[in-house]
Amino acid sequence: MTTFVLRRLAAGIFLLLVISFLTFALLSVPHTDVGRALLGQNASQAAVDARNASLGLDRPMLAQYADWLSHAVRGDLGRSWFTGEDVWSALATRLPVTLSIVVGVTLVTAVLSLLLGVWAAVRGGVVDRLVQVLSVIGYALPGFLVTLVLVLVFAVQLRWFPAIGYIPFTQSPSGWLSTVTLPIAALSVGAVAGVAQQVRGSVADVLERDFVRTLRARGLPPGRILFRHVVRNASAPALTVLGLQFVGLLGGAVLVEQIFGLPGIGSMTVQYTTRGDIPVIMGLVMVSVVGVVVVNLVVDVLVGVPNPKARVA
Amino acid sequence: MKTTRILAAVVAAGVAATLAACSGSGGGAAGTAAQHSDTLAIGTMTAAASLDPTQATGSGMPYYQAVYDTLILRKADGTYAPMLATEWSYDDTRTALSLTLRQGVTFTDGSAFDGAAVKKNLIAFRDGGGGSATELSALKSVKVVDAHHVVLELKQPDPGLLFSLSDAAGLVASPTKIGSKDLATQPDGTGPYTLDTASTAIGSKYVFTRKADYWGDKAAYKTVTISSFDNENAIVNGLKTGQLNTAILQTVDQQTAAESDTKLTSQKFEFDFQGLILFDRAGALNKALGDVKVRQAINYAIDRDALLTGLRQGRGTVTSQIWGPDTPGYEKSLDDAYPYDPAKAKQLLAEAGYADGFTLTLPALAGITTDAMTSALSTQLKKVGITLKWDSLDGSTALQKIFRDRAYAGMVMNLGQATDAWTVVQAAILPGTFNMFGYTDPTVTKLAAKIAAEPADQAGADAKALNEHVVDQAWFAPFYRMTYTLVTDQTVKATTQSGMAVPSLYDYTPAS
Repeated sequence: MTTFVLRRLAAGIFLLLVISFLTFALLSVPHTDVGRALLGQNASQAAVDARNASLGLDRPMLAQYADWLSHAVRGDLGRSWFTGEDVWSALATRLPVTLSIVVGVTLVTAVLSLLLGVWAAVRGGVVDRLVQVLSVIGYALPGFLVTLVLVLVFAVQLRWFPAIGYIPFTQSPSGWLSTVTLPIAALSVGAVAGVAQQVRGSVADVLERDFVRTLRARGLPPGRILFRHVVRNASAPALTVLGLQFVGLLGGAVLVEQIFGLPGIGSMTVQYTTRGDIPVIMGLVMVSVVGVVVVNLVVDVLVGVPNPKARVA
Repeated sequence: MKTTRILAAVVAAGVAATLAACSGSGGGAAGTAAQHSDTLAIGTMTAAASLDPTQATGSGMPYYQAVYDTLILRKADGTYAPMLATEWSYDDTRTALSLTLRQGVTFTDGSAFDGAAVKKNLIAFRDGGGGSATELSALKSVKVVDAHHVVLELKQPDPGLLFSLSDAAGLVASPTKIGSKDLATQPDGTGPYTLDTASTAIGSKYVFTRKADYWGDKAAYKTVTISSFDNENAIVNGLKTGQLNTAILQTVDQQTAAESDTKLTSQKFEFDFQGLILFDRAGALNKALGDVKVRQAINYAIDRDALLTGLRQGRGTVTSQIWGPDTPGYEKSLDDAYPYDPAKAKQLLAEAGYADGFTLTLPALAGITTDAMTSALSTQLKKVGITLKWDSLDGSTALQKIFRDRAYAGMVMNLGQATDAWTVVQAAILPGTFNMFGYTDPTVTKLAAKIAAEPADQAGADAKALNEHVVDQAWFAPFYRMTYTLVTDQTVKATTQSGMAVPSLYDYTPAS
């Protein structure tokens, strides 16, 4: 187990290096005129060139990357070229926003899709078909449409939740809940639909296995069979899909953060990438890679908890 | 069975929490209504940048005005009033501007506002390489006469100087912080508010708190927040739910959405014009544009009314001049200088030797040239034989191709209309950013020099002559001035700021 985790962590660090280099190389390709974007349309070309030089953009890409890397390994990610903010502090302000949403959606998805999936698989018949139809609809609905309708109904018309903005948990827990509820609901629709189908499928599969029949024949209570044996066996594919969803949610976060005007890393990615703010983009990419590596590791370890067969060596 | 109960408990807890959130936010909404006169929440599409004043540009002024004062105050109607400078006067040659400075003013860090501080700020702004650094390009040196008197010595007269000192160049930061990187996120000025760094999310939402010991009139609000968005839809939702009190709306759809809400007030105003700027007036890149008749033909070929109706539901005023109604030298009749006349356009093209037409390549920029616009313009110009070819570019590389590589003979863009003629001349007429091919003619050179040398309030006649000349020479093919709306809710009164797309922070007052 420890060797496995260590090996995966080492692979993660290698991945960080490779991705940081690739990102840096890609960012250097389009020759984004950062100086012009910084100084605006009215600045003279000489001033723009001077600014680009002062940011080191006139140097070869490899030299720029080496410079960035040597600072990054020492924990210095630099400052945003546009706002002058330290990249760590920018990430520290924005990461909790996105994590609130992504973790919230994952929890809601885990609970709801487990309930729906198991219900559909066990009951079958009308219930099963209903859950399946709802899943297809939920999966097919475009995320932005769901989000816009939720805002319009629950924020603008009914005024139950704020339409825009974010309140940190530390400032007011109830305020925090009110600002993240709609974004979480918006993203959960598609996620629940996808994972519930997965849970339903694998639970239905396991229910038909021989060992379940044997357990039934031995007179075990149905609830115990279901939760002790069936769900445990069916959990691996569901957890894997959930892990994939978690990573995919970072993309969904871009959308809800823009619609709700939330200062998270999703909206930050769009905003800073279009401006070509390399220090911030590199910081964002590094954080995302770490997130993906950690989530995958956690999923791999978790899959083994209910199922000894899947335990990692 | 135990597990089912736990699941049920989790679900129940979730429902309870959600209900609590509902009641919580309901109470919050009522609470905020009562405190509204204390708080001003501004929504804006202007991305916040560094709060270091040497990096300031005009469009971001409200962010800076909370923390910094300018040397001269520019009121909503565009006239100047004392702020950190109480008096100012030029010498006879208009190359030395004497300022008398306010006494007893201190920065947040306790250091005193005096002549040395002003000198340090002005020099840092001129040499700081910021986007508006050219505002002080005429500044030779600053002489500190005593703690409360300075003289700005100029290389040549600069009719835009007073405007600049009421704009980005006039912002004054604590001299102990000038040059420090921290100023970008921890501003320190003499202004009415301080930045609440704990509640602020840099780049997204800025929270300013009223300063107890401000030298001037007590600020109107206890707290001011400025939130930046990248879409107006979120802004309108914020306005409708009372989370934002005011914002400027530019897109027609969102303007109508805000107008449909009876609790919101919309004031219409015109600031930017939209049009085709023909950079290549000497025909270096596109030979045809070197002929004035071709440029005039383009102007006659554009059906401005159809564009205004089709693209902006008629919200705006068609025009053929880049001068705005508030700019000295504006001539109302020039709005219709080039009525839609495709026959005349064809005739002019034939006279210029382009009876068979020619091809003009223009950059297509996200946010400005919509598909509706490119197809409308292409259709209109095709009628007289001009083929438009659109190059799709993404935002950041586009600027480089246009301004540095000079890859296009013209482009469609939005430009603000200043309140003084010199700003127009400097920004759009003289060789420079928007005249990157550097084309000029003797009439333009002569009139520009005259406008540069005379006081701004006496420049009207020469500015008008220059305006007429540029329209006649068809340097531009403007379409229309666009109507923007300044939206406010019932708690706030706001006035549009002459010469700026957004109101100054001083233009907002509580409604009750």
